[in-house]
Amino acid sequence: MHPSAIYAATVDSHTFATFRALVEAIIPDSPVSATYSPELTAGAADLCIHEYMIWELDHSLSLVLGFGLTDIPLSCSTAGLLNVGAVHLAASRQLQHPPNPLLWESGPFSAMSRNDRISVLAMLEQGNIDPGVLPPPYRNDLGFTRYMIDFLNRQTMFGNYSEWSAYGTTRLRTPTERRLEYFPVSWKQAEYPGVVPGYRALLGYMLTIERKGGESTIV
Amino acid sequence: MYDADAMFDADVIVIGSGGGGAVAAKELGEAGLKVLVLEAGPWYGNKQWANPNSERGGEWSSDYKDLDVGIYKKIFNAYENNMNDLVSGVFRFGPADRRRTPWHRVMRQKGEIWQLSGVGGTTQLYWSQSPRAFPLAVDNIWPISYRELVPYYEKAEATLPVQFAPTTPKEELFYYGAKKAGWPLIPTLNVTTPGYRPNPNAILPTNEHLMDQSYSLEQLSNMEGCTLKGNCVNGCTTGSSVDKIAKRSTLVSYVPLALKTGNVAIRPNSFVIKLLTAQDPKEGLRATGVQFRDTWTGEIGELTARTVVMAAGCIESPRLWLNSGLPYNEWVGRGLTNHCFDWVAGVFDEKDLMSIMGLPAVYPYVGHTSGARVDIPGTGIFQVSCLSPGLMSFLTYGFSEAGYDALNPPEPGAPWDIHGRVVGPQLKELMMNYSRTMSILILTDDETLYRNRVQIDPLLKDENGPIPIMHYTPSPKTLKRRDQLARYASETLKQAGARKIIRSDTPFGSMIHLESTMRMGYVTDTNCEAYQVRRLFIADNSVHFNGIGGPNPTLTTQALATRTAEKIVTKYFS
Repeated sequence: MHPSAIYAATVDSHTFATFRALVEAIIPDSPVSATYSPELTAGAADLCIHEYMIWELDHSLSLVLGFGLTDIPLSCSTAGLLNVGAVHLAASRQLQHPPNPLLWESGPFSAMSRNDRISVLAMLEQGNIDPGVLPPPYRNDLGFTRYMIDFLNRQTMFGNYSEWSAYGTTRLRTPTERRLEYFPVSWKQAEYPGVVPGYRALLGYMLTIERKGGESTIV
Repeated sequence: MYDADAMFDADVIVIGSGGGGAVAAKELGEAGLKVLVLEAGPWYGNKQWANPNSERGGEWSSDYKDLDVGIYKKIFNAYENNMNDLVSGVFRFGPADRRRTPWHRVMRQKGEIWQLSGVGGTTQLYWSQSPRAFPLAVDNIWPISYRELVPYYEKAEATLPVQFAPTTPKEELFYYGAKKAGWPLIPTLNVTTPGYRPNPNAILPTNEHLMDQSYSLEQLSNMEGCTLKGNCVNGCTTGSSVDKIAKRSTLVSYVPLALKTGNVAIRPNSFVIKLLTAQDPKEGLRATGVQFRDTWTGEIGELTARTVVMAAGCIESPRLWLNSGLPYNEWVGRGLTNHCFDWVAGVFDEKDLMSIMGLPAVYPYVGHTSGARVDIPGTGIFQVSCLSPGLMSFLTYGFSEAGYDALNPPEPGAPWDIHGRVVGPQLKELMMNYSRTMSILILTDDETLYRNRVQIDPLLKDENGPIPIMHYTPSPKTLKRRDQLARYASETLKQAGARKIIRSDTPFGSMIHLESTMRMGYVTDTNCEAYQVRRLFIADNSVHFNGIGGPNPTLTTQALATRTAEKIVTKYFS
């Protein structure tokens, strides 16, 4: 088993499904058409950005608890936050679409339509929920909840549109051991040429600073 | 009891080797003082640390010959996830060992703090913007005048060196829009009236052979001079040696110069956890040294010096003061400004770009990350700023105080078509237009308020002690200016031909330009020496009296650090 699979195996299936549902709501796949090849239509779940998000959240916080520094993984509790939010939104009868009843028991957030998942994020971000029902460390801390909802959005985008997915089989290794295996699909989508040594794109200088005797003039 | 005749380890200890600390070290070393610099993060590009993110390596480096551009280029590969991931990237605020988590700050609001540990500090990823303060924000406000700063600006600008940015397609488009919007050209470094100009950037002039096809780009990237490769924020690698890298972080500018003095030794991987003080019969309470923790081994060490310069940044400097139990000062950690930045982007049609520039795209990945600006003293700045797609996507579409655009669209008549986060199919469609999108950073003349602050958490600790809590809420005046700047930026984009305008409404807690948490006149005197602790000087953005009107604060810190070094020599070593 390669290291990515070992790491993925340590994540429980509810957390995994919840993050998959999160990233596909933020960056869905698109229908394949005459204009867009399958590669150009790939969404964040196709690029395994849910695994990226889980890795990030599980490697972002350490605090001194008791006698020593302790790593505090956040993916499981954050999945819990999204699922509590999903239940609350459904209970308040604000869903646009009925959730998938087969998935509801195992994960309310992933049972919802993509639009309703975004509504859950918006509700949590706005603090329209009793903070006492949220799982720790979000319980009674709407400020940290707000921070986290923002993080979930922007980090999904950063993960997706950076080169991370192209680390392929090494993507979940410790960062110094990741190796690019191909050109990132998302960079093709964005028409970004990647890292190059330079561009012959000089169009001139509008102004120049000239220095003489400790003083500068503009020409 | 403190012994005035005791032997010290150094004349000066500098805490932090970023935008300010590296400058102080070089200037003090040149004056002949023995200087020790302690840096919490890694050192990239030094033979003592061949694998700085996975092995402890050496302890100190004081030899210019230790610098190694091969090691530097191997690490700075310009891939944005590897470099810029705030959790685990090369550029983060955390220990050198990338298997470990970053150092935490408590944020109970949306936002992110872009600060880096490591030799060079946050200048490793800054865009090398080196404007001077607006005189309007200094004169009759700071305890010193703008004129007092000018010779030090000149010296720092010549040392880095600073030059106006070259024009590439995105700057050409920006100038085209700015001129049509009615802004005049202001050919100056001392900005007193509104107008547009190229950014004064600490980036070496473009390689003179760049447009000569007989040189390959690979060859050019190993020569002196910028190649317009667009990775200022991802880790610039263009250059023939560490000290000739095109983008002038202090890692490649002031640090090599400090080593060349033969008087400066730098120890990375060393987090200062306590300032040591003693009662001097003549001077009263004075700094005598520091206690630091080796980030690899956890061992605690102590070093002593005749003077101490604190340059740990706007969060860590007040944290260190508070965690060291220094005398109470109601302004320590208070008065935080961050330019309350915002982000506006415009999407262009290919045919419009062809008719304006004869080119089919904006090419946001070409040239200096930010090469042109409109300065408006009294309000702030907007400047063309284009990034690699991962960073661009989250700043433009993922990061907002306003929530989701689809759930809360712009009010009728607003100059932007999208306000807030974009997700779903619309995001994908917009990102397919990345190469035809020009984005603009907005920096606000941010009002300095006592309530905005860095505090210490009463319960939470990391291995370096109680951790900081951040609070920042802009004033109505700051928000009004910010909104005005977003409108100006939208107008320039529209005049340039943009078909769709996006306003991010960036979270207030997004901190790229932290300043004024240890303000001159409140915490320090005009020499930047702490009122309550003699021989303790401050040489980072925290000593600024305010947010200097909106320009990037780095050059002002570098000018002040140059001046502070001079004051230290005059007062204690003449």
